[in-house]
Amino acid sequence: MSFPLILTQRMIDHPADSHLIDVYEGAGGYDVMRKVLSGMTPEQVVAEVKSANIQGRGGAAFPAGIKWGFLAPAEPRYLVVNGDESEPGTFKDRQLLERDPHQLIEGVIISSFALGVNHAFIYIRGEYPKPARRVQQAVEAAYAKGHLGHNIMGSGFDLDVTVHLGGGAYICGEETALLNSLEGLRGEPRLKPPFPAVEGLYAKPTIVNNVETISNIPWIIDNGGEAFAAIGDENSVGTRLFSLSGHLKKPGNVEVPMGLTWRELIYDIGGGIRDDRELKTWVPGGASAPWFVPEHHLDVKVTKDDVAHAGSMLGSGAVIVMDETTNVVAAAHRIVKFFAHESCGQCTPCREGTTWLENILWRLLNGAGRQSDIELLLDICDNISPGLAWPPKMTTICPLGPSAVSPITSIMTHFRDEVQAMVDLAAEPASA
Amino acid sequence: MTLAAVIPDWTSPNQERARKLLDAYPERRSAVMPLLYLAQLEHGHLTDSGMTQVAELTGLTPAQVQAVASFYTMYKRDHVGKYLISVCTSISCFLMGSDEVLTAVEEESDALDGTTSADGTFSVEHVECIGACGGAPAVQVNYELIEGVTPEKGKALCQWLRDAAPEVVLTDEMQELFGGVRSFDWGSKEAEGAVAPVPAFGPYGSAKREGRS
Amino acid sequence: MPERQPAEMVTITIDGAAVEVPAGEMIIKSAEDSGTYIPRFCYHPRMKPVGMCRMCLVEVETPRGRILTTACNMPAAEEMIVDTQSEVVQKAQEGILEFLLINHPLDCPVCDKGGECPLQDQTVAYGPGESRFVEEKRHYEKPIPLSDLVLMDRERCILCARCTRFSEEVSGDPLIEFVGRGYSTQVITFPDEPFASYFSGNTVEICPVGALTAKPYRFKARPWDLDAIESVSMVDSSGASVSIETSQNEVVRINGIDNDKTNHGWLSDKDRFIFQAIHSDERLMTPMIRNEAGVLHAATWGEALDLVADQLGSVRGDEVASIGGANSTNEEAFALSKFLRTVVVTPHVDAQVGDSLRPELLVGLSNRAEIDDIDLADTILLWAGDLKEEFPSLYLRVRHAVTELGAKLIVVHPRRAGLDDVATLTVRYRPGDGGEVLRKLASNDEKYAAARNLLSEGKVTAIVGLPGRTEDAALPEAVAAYANSLPGAKILPLARRGNVFGALDMGLAPTLLPGRVHVGNAAGRAELESHWGPLPADAGRDTNGILAGLVSGELKALLMVGADPVRDGRDPREARRALSSADFVVSFDMFLNDSNQYASVILPVDGFAETEGSVTNVEGRVQKVNRIVPGPGQSRALWSILDELSVRMGGQLGAGNAAAIAKEIATVAPAYRSFNWDRIEWGPERDGVVMPDGDGVQPLQYEPSDPGLKAAGGRLTLHFGRVLYDGGTRIAHSPSLAALAPDPAVHLHPRDASALALSDGQIVDVVGDEASLHLPLRIDATMAEGAAYIPANLDSTWVFGATQVVSIANAGGGE
Ligand SMILES: Cc1cc2nc3c(=O)[nH]c(=O)nc-3n(C[C@H](O)[C@H](O)[C@H](O)COP(=O)(O)O)c2cc1C
Ligand code: SF4
Ligand code: FES
Repeated sequence: MSFPLILTQRMIDHPADSHLIDVYEGAGGYDVMRKVLSGMTPEQVVAEVKSANIQGRGGAAFPAGIKWGFLAPAEPRYLVVNGDESEPGTFKDRQLLERDPHQLIEGVIISSFALGVNHAFIYIRGEYPKPARRVQQAVEAAYAKGHLGHNIMGSGFDLDVTVHLGGGAYICGEETALLNSLEGLRGEPRLKPPFPAVEGLYAKPTIVNNVETISNIPWIIDNGGEAFAAIGDENSVGTRLFSLSGHLKKPGNVEVPMGLTWRELIYDIGGGIRDDRELKTWVPGGASAPWFVPEHHLDVKVTKDDVAHAGSMLGSGAVIVMDETTNVVAAAHRIVKFFAHESCGQCTPCREGTTWLENILWRLLNGAGRQSDIELLLDICDNISPGLAWPPKMTTICPLGPSAVSPITSIMTHFRDEVQAMVDLAAEPASA
Repeated sequence: MTLAAVIPDWTSPNQERARKLLDAYPERRSAVMPLLYLAQLEHGHLTDSGMTQVAELTGLTPAQVQAVASFYTMYKRDHVGKYLISVCTSISCFLMGSDEVLTAVEEESDALDGTTSADGTFSVEHVECIGACGGAPAVQVNYELIEGVTPEKGKALCQWLRDAAPEVVLTDEMQELFGGVRSFDWGSKEAEGAVAPVPAFGPYGSAKREGRS
Repeated sequence: MPERQPAEMVTITIDGAAVEVPAGEMIIKSAEDSGTYIPRFCYHPRMKPVGMCRMCLVEVETPRGRILTTACNMPAAEEMIVDTQSEVVQKAQEGILEFLLINHPLDCPVCDKGGECPLQDQTVAYGPGESRFVEEKRHYEKPIPLSDLVLMDRERCILCARCTRFSEEVSGDPLIEFVGRGYSTQVITFPDEPFASYFSGNTVEICPVGALTAKPYRFKARPWDLDAIESVSMVDSSGASVSIETSQNEVVRINGIDNDKTNHGWLSDKDRFIFQAIHSDERLMTPMIRNEAGVLHAATWGEALDLVADQLGSVRGDEVASIGGANSTNEEAFALSKFLRTVVVTPHVDAQVGDSLRPELLVGLSNRAEIDDIDLADTILLWAGDLKEEFPSLYLRVRHAVTELGAKLIVVHPRRAGLDDVATLTVRYRPGDGGEVLRKLASNDEKYAAARNLLSEGKVTAIVGLPGRTEDAALPEAVAAYANSLPGAKILPLARRGNVFGALDMGLAPTLLPGRVHVGNAAGRAELESHWGPLPADAGRDTNGILAGLVSGELKALLMVGADPVRDGRDPREARRALSSADFVVSFDMFLNDSNQYASVILPVDGFAETEGSVTNVEGRVQKVNRIVPGPGQSRALWSILDELSVRMGGQLGAGNAAAIAKEIATVAPAYRSFNWDRIEWGPERDGVVMPDGDGVQPLQYEPSDPGLKAAGGRLTLHFGRVLYDGGTRIAHSPSLAALAPDPAVHLHPRDASALALSDGQIVDVVGDEASLHLPLRIDATMAEGAAYIPANLDSTWVFGATQVVSIANAGGGE
């Protein structure tokens, strides 16, 4: 299969210094910006993004063009780039920020022009100082060249970009929590509606897009939306940066077109399982996603809809692979613990429920499980996410709480015997 | 009141940074998080007086500032050692043996998870995913990343920090000495690194190591 | 009546029944109004929804299918179908309750909230039985004080954010906040920054569990032992509705009642906790007579009333005067008015103590605003005392109008006032320069163009009052005159004392007869004479005139009715001179005070919560107050004392009981024709009724005038403004409030301080014409230049009463 490396080609061509503005410009960088500012209308840009049919790369896979169409007319408006990347297993935005910040900035300029934005923010998680340094330096370089600031290229278009560092809170990846955080508030998700496109940052119309989504914009405008839409599978187009981790021979980021099978992604791209062990299970889209197992899912296609039909999601593009040696209860505990730690605390079911789940799993792991715990775990999950369906119903404001349900339903569905074995072990008198 | 009168104890570069931060956002309140990092950089950890200063700068009450600061894990309310070692124990690192790395770091640093060593050199913490899962297990020193750390390398890292006592910690240097598998090709080396246990981002606690490019 | 935009109505279905509700109203409210109570913890009708507790989950049919959502933030839309009872809903609600309970202590039997706790109630109604939670509960140190008034038990807190939202959103004092996140979130203050809010008690009232408790109530009673009765707070004249709660004939708690027209359910801590004074040991229990040696001794009612009747009868009627009545009910005020005008026959009657606006301005305006006009205004002009200090309920209403309804606010004040934080524009001026500021505002002076623009568009509500005690009543009159000239403006003139507007309406004013009839209105007077017989034709003296008359000997005897002119009046020395010059002074009061130490007879009267009647608030709204406890000892209702006194003086008051007086008011007081207790006690008019404009008061003309306060020779004009917690009698007798009065200080603008070479914190001598004070200096950048601010009503400062200009110098002796 032949496909262009939309996001990472320049990194391959310039393995040492793809992040520098001279390298970027030398490879044709900022030409798309020039083309847009000198010859396109905002409407034309939006139309290209719509025809590209690019699904957001932050997790929810909402089509970016459609989201842009919701932007309310009030002024001022803001663009916020979501670089909070904290979903366990995910490290793709880090590479885009570190290795090609100008690609992102050019995307920001084009998107801001299209959206009528004069102040954009790039929110980067606090634990990413190096990516933030690279982006800050790139922003300063872009200002120095006149690509940012007042009257860019004499077009009359002004744009300021502020790089903002998070403080260590996964929930700030949720777009409204991110906006609160950017406003200097606690990073608690807001009630919706209103959605950010209507009332976002400072209650003004705001578009929030993922780093990868915006990094795709220069290529899309350069090559046309249709060229982008022609790559990959019909229901999920373009290439995507997947973060492969866990028990693989070749973990790391890969850019591949949408529409491979999981078998191809894990075995061909990821090199298969370390020490040639058996694949036991994998998390297809970041810690929030229900797990897949080889018996059922290896030949499912890696697209939004195919994965959804199989009961999970592509989410943030993080694939976490577990081999046969994995204690799945321990793995589930780790993931649930993450969500309990990251709950903002607003919603009762999330705050109390995730912690309770974590405690019960801990008991199971430590030989203090009870038979009733199995039903209890499922019932607590049901009280956080009624019906335990996919996509989840929620008793909460945002999907963080229901995310903690995924690993539990996963082990109960695919590895119930292992959970039962732990309970049985606890029932036996401890041997000396 | 002038800005300098609110933060007379801050260094003049940090006063200047504070001034710029207050201008960088459409509303002053938005500067609260970056200002908290500066306060933490100034005082070693986030003190009550640091929060009160940030409150005055942003027009909030100290209670509001505390509400924000306490929401985030990177604002440290207690004393932090010279090197803050953060060991990721989230799922991907866990699968690759992070718990053993944490134990090794605890042993060598003389600081249990969540504490600071008696000599004030190290603070150790386990943290949730730090975005280095392709290079698991991952560790940060003053938020500067090292990927592919083994228990042995974790110990060696602590020894090195104690003996070499670098004023500036550089991610590339540590990766080379103590790291392994990376999430992706890192490209050329950076001369910048952290001078204190706060994120070494341009406006906060970063510095260039002398004598390097 | 203010009109409101009628909301568009939509039809929605709740549990199968179609109901019409305003579009956009939250489902939780629509359901409640149509008889379906959806359980909730965090939702509060007066605050923005946060959807945090998740208790109010319902199912709603949407085009995308059936969704589970919280009713507290789901706006009603046409054809919406809501299910509050489905299996999914019930299961989810039970789940939420279980989550809330796993970490909640089961100490209901010892919890202040036990018996009135929605968590307890809903656990009984919806909750699971056995606990499935075998882990350890969250533990915190037992109750910690957040302030002198409020304690926090973090284990009981369910993190509903009602208290934090109230403090931030409603009262604007964000001093308690969430700290931490997730499972370890708690509500707390900043170290060494107590929850020192004037409104802190509201958080205790709205806390759905027993996490926040009020020290004055803690362990006092159990909810099921309480008797409660609705009434109206008389701490100020805003007419806040309250519920007075007693246990064994003792008032133990006051809570707010959500009166849509006045306080929206909120109370200041002064309104809430001042009840402690009711049961003070220092209440007067028996009539007292002063003997030859000047010593007070207890007397029988017979002896005391004989003496008063004898003394008042021994001088001409118009040699008798009366000060006070503003803390009485309308019925008591009316009885007093009638007693003075028909039995004593004197026109020298004043409910005010010489520190406020003319009665004609207070009750005579034809475009007088209602409190609701604050909500309807596009622009609010506030040129009065600091509302936060003097009128906390109005402070909240104005703040709400600005922050929630988008009104623009202009605050004109000599220094920072409580509403400055939300004001669109603030104007500061040196007391003495108010007239000039007004002239410039009214002309086309460039400096005030922005303010003038705001005032020239849309609806304006002007709130006018005396900004401080050094300023002349001519200033607010002139401001009112200016506001009067703005098209469509409404004016709310302020006077502070509890029922001062009722007292003026009952004719306790030198120029007004009952029902807002000016004494100069011949027809109005004749009408009253047809009921009461002949009345003095001329206007009487106001309080300042009365005091002067006593000094000069033109007046001989004085009645003080709940009044303390020495402390409260314009000039303490003048008041003392007047009282000691009088031949005879009788005081009707609840406590001994600085004025009735000059009285020959002191009669104990029933006070708040001890009398039934009506009161009239700042906008002319009449509400019912009620009796729930008997007065202490032999104290009696004022009207009954006056009734008996009349008989002894050969007159006839005919005040058989308060209800009968109310009937007479409706008969003889024109503005009160439609007044009757039944109207305001039950049914739709329980929020009170605004009495229409009086027909007897002449239209008023005002000329902007200069109060003529000048400071020459390096001296500073004094801004002598009130603070909420003072050294007044009632606060002094409410132990939990008494300690809250601030320490006195004198505030100067930094430039004035440096001109005088003074530094912050240093002790200075503040020298006025008649007194001097030793006070610490506060350098205060919020001051107008050329002025000094001293809180007016503290124990140590009130003696400065008549001072207008001061000089300030280093007291020597260093810091
Ligand atoms: C709990 C939670 C965490 C999230 N974290 C991230 C994140 O780290 N980065 C991101 O881009 N989007 C994240 N999202 C999704 C964002 O809310 C939002 O949908 C996204 O940034 C929109 O960008 P896109 O349309 O370009 O994908 C998160 C969502 C939730 C509910
Ligand atoms: S203290 Fe009471 S009002 Fe405040 S958050 Fe807790 S439960 Fe709610
Ligand atoms: S009342 Fe709706 S979530 Fe609390």
